[in-house]
Amino acid sequence: MIRCLHLVSFLLITLFRVQAEVVDTQAWEKRSPENTDDLLAIQKRLKELLPGAKKGLVGIEAMDGAGSGVVVSSDGLILTAAHVIGKTGKKMKVRFPDGKTASAISLGGSEISDAGMLQILDKGPWPFVEIAKNKNSKIGDWCFGIGHPGGFDSERGIVVRIGRIIEKKDETMQTDSRLLGGDSGGPLFDFDGKVIAIHSRISKRPDQNFHVPIESFRANWDFFRKEKLLTIEKIERGGFLGVSCEEREEGLVIQSVVPNSAADQAGLRQGDILLRINNQPIVNREKLTILISTKDVSEKVVIRYKRESKVHDLSLHLGSRLE
Amino acid sequence: MKLYFLKVSILLCLLSRINGAEFFEENSSTSLEENLRLNGITTQEALGAGKSQALDTTVRLLRNQKLIALGTLINPEGYLITKASSCVGAREAILTNGKTYPLKIKKRFEEVDLALYQLQGEGLEFNHVRWDKTRSISEESLVFSAFTELEEIRLGVASGSPRPIGREGGVMGVLLGREGKKLGGVEISEVVPQAAAYRAGLLPNDLIVRVDTRKVTRRDQVIKIVGAKDPGDLVNLEIKRKKLNKSIKVTLGHRSVTFDLFNRNLQMSGPVSKRKDNFPLILQHDLPLPKEAMGGPLFDIKGNFLGVNIARVDRVTVFTLPAETVRTYVEEWVPEKIN
Repeated sequence: MIRCLHLVSFLLITLFRVQAEVVDTQAWEKRSPENTDDLLAIQKRLKELLPGAKKGLVGIEAMDGAGSGVVVSSDGLILTAAHVIGKTGKKMKVRFPDGKTASAISLGGSEISDAGMLQILDKGPWPFVEIAKNKNSKIGDWCFGIGHPGGFDSERGIVVRIGRIIEKKDETMQTDSRLLGGDSGGPLFDFDGKVIAIHSRISKRPDQNFHVPIESFRANWDFFRKEKLLTIEKIERGGFLGVSCEEREEGLVIQSVVPNSAADQAGLRQGDILLRINNQPIVNREKLTILISTKDVSEKVVIRYKRESKVHDLSLHLGSRLE
Repeated sequence: MKLYFLKVSILLCLLSRINGAEFFEENSSTSLEENLRLNGITTQEALGAGKSQALDTTVRLLRNQKLIALGTLINPEGYLITKASSCVGAREAILTNGKTYPLKIKKRFEEVDLALYQLQGEGLEFNHVRWDKTRSISEESLVFSAFTELEEIRLGVASGSPRPIGREGGVMGVLLGREGKKLGGVEISEVVPQAAAYRAGLLPNDLIVRVDTRKVTRRDQVIKIVGAKDPGDLVNLEIKRKKLNKSIKVTLGHRSVTFDLFNRNLQMSGPVSKRKDNFPLILQHDLPLPKEAMGGPLFDIKGNFLGVNIARVDRVTVFTLPAETVRTYVEEWVPEKIN
């Protein structure tokens, strides 16, 4: 079988050669590195990308601990973890790799995905890094993380870890790139040098750590930026629809409906695809929770959904989770 | 962090209530297969000869059939170096080919926590690290070492500046409270469970009057005298307990071990090396090695010998003594020039 594959790939290579001279697969794009040269190529790429990646890294110092973050715009917007900022409107200090500090204020985030934002208050321009587009990262991709594990240490400097994406689903990404407390909020980069996720939580096994995928930030960018933080408390007290969804190509598909919930009473069913709430597009599950939980119990909302390729509008009164 | 975990578990409950319980159990089959991961077999095999070299030049050191450290073979006559504070009581060594040899200690270098041994056997020639292929690294590089069973290796990144690690000093394991001339000493407000002071019988509210015959009335005086000593050293305390004077001897402990109980990063790290301080120069890397895997060699992707793993610090940090530092200590104790 393997021989057979070799033959096929040989033929393919020959064909490509004829048509387009050379088609290069980079070492980090292969299913797995095949030899020392591949590993050396991965190392070389890492070394090329690190200087650019490091310039946006900050250590974040709060009263009750330390974390990391990454600057993503010249005016000083920082992506970090929700559990690093804790709440909105909190004054914090950020420290660049050269030791220089700036004052910042926490914006919003979400305790579901653990996405958080922070804004530098001092005037820029600040060094920053680019973030990846949606769906640019997938399981198996090589990645590297940087941060200040255990807190900022000028003698040690920035600590780098490398790994591959081992899982990516909904609000979390898992990699085998290692993490420690203090790394929280630090950036994970792809081998294009763009931020694909933010370090969130460590798992008991050191090679299965959790990150907030960049998609979670992009989906709720404006909400987070406007100093809004979705907390567990808010979810508990806010409006309740009563659906369980899965993100698929075609949209947010209802997997199940909680009996007697607002969704159930209004007639939403398994398989319906949710499109909009009050005319705002629902791009992921977290967005749905944000749109629903920030409304009051009994508030009226208009839901646009698709059933058997027909689009319907439905208006209903939200329920309470505590009922 | 604890609080945060609590929140996460609440969150998980909450989400499963919102979404129905099925959501968290599905889809584990799509995750990247173990073989392809950073330390999967496929990645390890890509190292080819480098992998065999790491396994062939590393030995396992046993005490009562239990692994206590790894060692680095440094010449054909079976001389090996290992982590001195981990290998106490090592009687035999096993190679990757399964062969066992008795061990003979040659020299300990306490300053850098290294010990030199020789495998005992007639007319043998051992594989060993190549001293003509050493390299010092100053920027991020991929590195690897043999894993505990000498069947696999572990790959990771060396990063952070090569640097000296300062001395931690010995500690009693107490928190100091009130102080002053009026009080007539320094009061102990808390005693760390299982720490040196606890084992010596010190109690909260004991008033420290003298340390090694010197009268003390301020916290910094106590800290200065005790901090100048090393773990294992003795301090003589004169204390006042319920108006009675007592004298108590405390054998000092390691700072890191004593206060690990309070360090949440270390709680999440599993067992770390007892000695992880006071090195003239170290390289830092993130290989997932247990503390019993210290003493073995570290290599770069090209197979250059970088140094000897000397301390597991936490779940993302191992310190390595650079090859050149190791060489300056052991060279004169090894017959003929090592190369």
